[in-house]
Amino acid sequence: MKTIQLLILVTAVTLFAGCATTPPQELVNAREAYQRASTGIAAQAAPAELHVAKKALDQAEQSFQKNPDSYKTRDLAYVAQRKSQLAEATASIAIEQKSQTQAKKEYQEKQGKIITQTKQDLSRKRAELAESERSGALTSEQLAAEQTARADAERRAAEALTALAALASVKEEPRGMVITLSGSVLFAFNKATLLPAARARLDKVADVLLTTPERKLTIEGHTDSKGSESYNLDLSQRRADTVRAYLVQRGYPADRIQAQGLGEGHPIADNASPEGRANNRRVEIIIEREAQSSIQ
Amino acid sequence: MRHVSKMGIMMFAVAVVATAIIAGCANAPLRTEASTSGIRAAEEVGAANVPQASLHLQLAKEELERAQALSAKGEKEEADSMLLRAEADAELAVALSREDAEKTEARAAVERVRKLRQDNP
Repeated sequence: MKTIQLLILVTAVTLFAGCATTPPQELVNAREAYQRASTGIAAQAAPAELHVAKKALDQAEQSFQKNPDSYKTRDLAYVAQRKSQLAEATASIAIEQKSQTQAKKEYQEKQGKIITQTKQDLSRKRAELAESERSGALTSEQLAAEQTARADAERRAAEALTALAALASVKEEPRGMVITLSGSVLFAFNKATLLPAARARLDKVADVLLTTPERKLTIEGHTDSKGSESYNLDLSQRRADTVRAYLVQRGYPADRIQAQGLGEGHPIADNASPEGRANNRRVEIIIEREAQSSIQ
Repeated sequence: MRHVSKMGIMMFAVAVVATAIIAGCANAPLRTEASTSGIRAAEEVGAANVPQASLHLQLAKEELERAQALSAKGEKEEADSMLLRAEADAELAVALSREDAEKTEARAAVERVRKLRQDNP
């Protein structure tokens, strides 16, 4: 019986004590909120606000000690919970502001780099443009110089042709322009070496020919009918070769000149008279037409 | 008699003053300035448009009304205590609104940097 009474007493005391120390829900929430805030970002980012929250919680705890279930305890605990939440929000604000500041700094740095790069690109482009303009000017100058040179060359060629007409027969034929040089002026009798006076004449001819070095030339040697046909053929070939060699020496492209001895087979006058035979002894330089040279 | 009369007058005067002070305190108007200005500040920063802040703004308004009701019933101390809740909720509503705005701004700033880097590798 005594044991039962003792058990009832202990239970009653325990229940009473339990009821007396059970904190209100507001205080439980406040403790949890502070625990969360003090172990989270607020400890570093909002220490002042966290301190305020701690003081509010202490105040609520003190009130709880004095009046556990009073409205004042509950209100103070409620306020303490809000202060802890406020500390967390303040910490979050500080972190977001820091993030913003960092992003703005990075933006400015990147912008600075872009501006620097753009300036460098601009300077380079300007330099390239200036160089381009300068070389363009040079090209124009070169073009003008070339045109002048070409006009001079054409003028000289016309003058040379006029001069040539005084030294040799020049005529247009279907096979091209034919310059005919008298054999007696170029070579001694029965020889294939150039006479000294012949060089001066050939120089003038070469001047004209070198104005159009892209044209193909054919040097033809011709003789009169005196002597054997085979001898005349050989002599005419050697004379044509001599003229060809001289023109090559003067600068005409060798691959564009061919020499051909035709002997007595293509007379242009009667071999019966001395004048006719003199006319037949000749060297003809045939300048192929431009189209014919281009095709080849 | 004369001495007693003086003492009596003094005691009466003290009693009158004390009664007046107590009566004055009991009838003092509820000081809601801090709460109402806090609520107004929360509204101005756009707490109504931020879900979490909106909740605390609403709580602050309700607590202010409860405080006024308590005050009207003559429960002055309880009313003052309730006002502390209203102030705390209003203050938190302001902070949560600011937090939301800062987050939005920070995200925009980070996005601007990302876009700038993307466009200018």
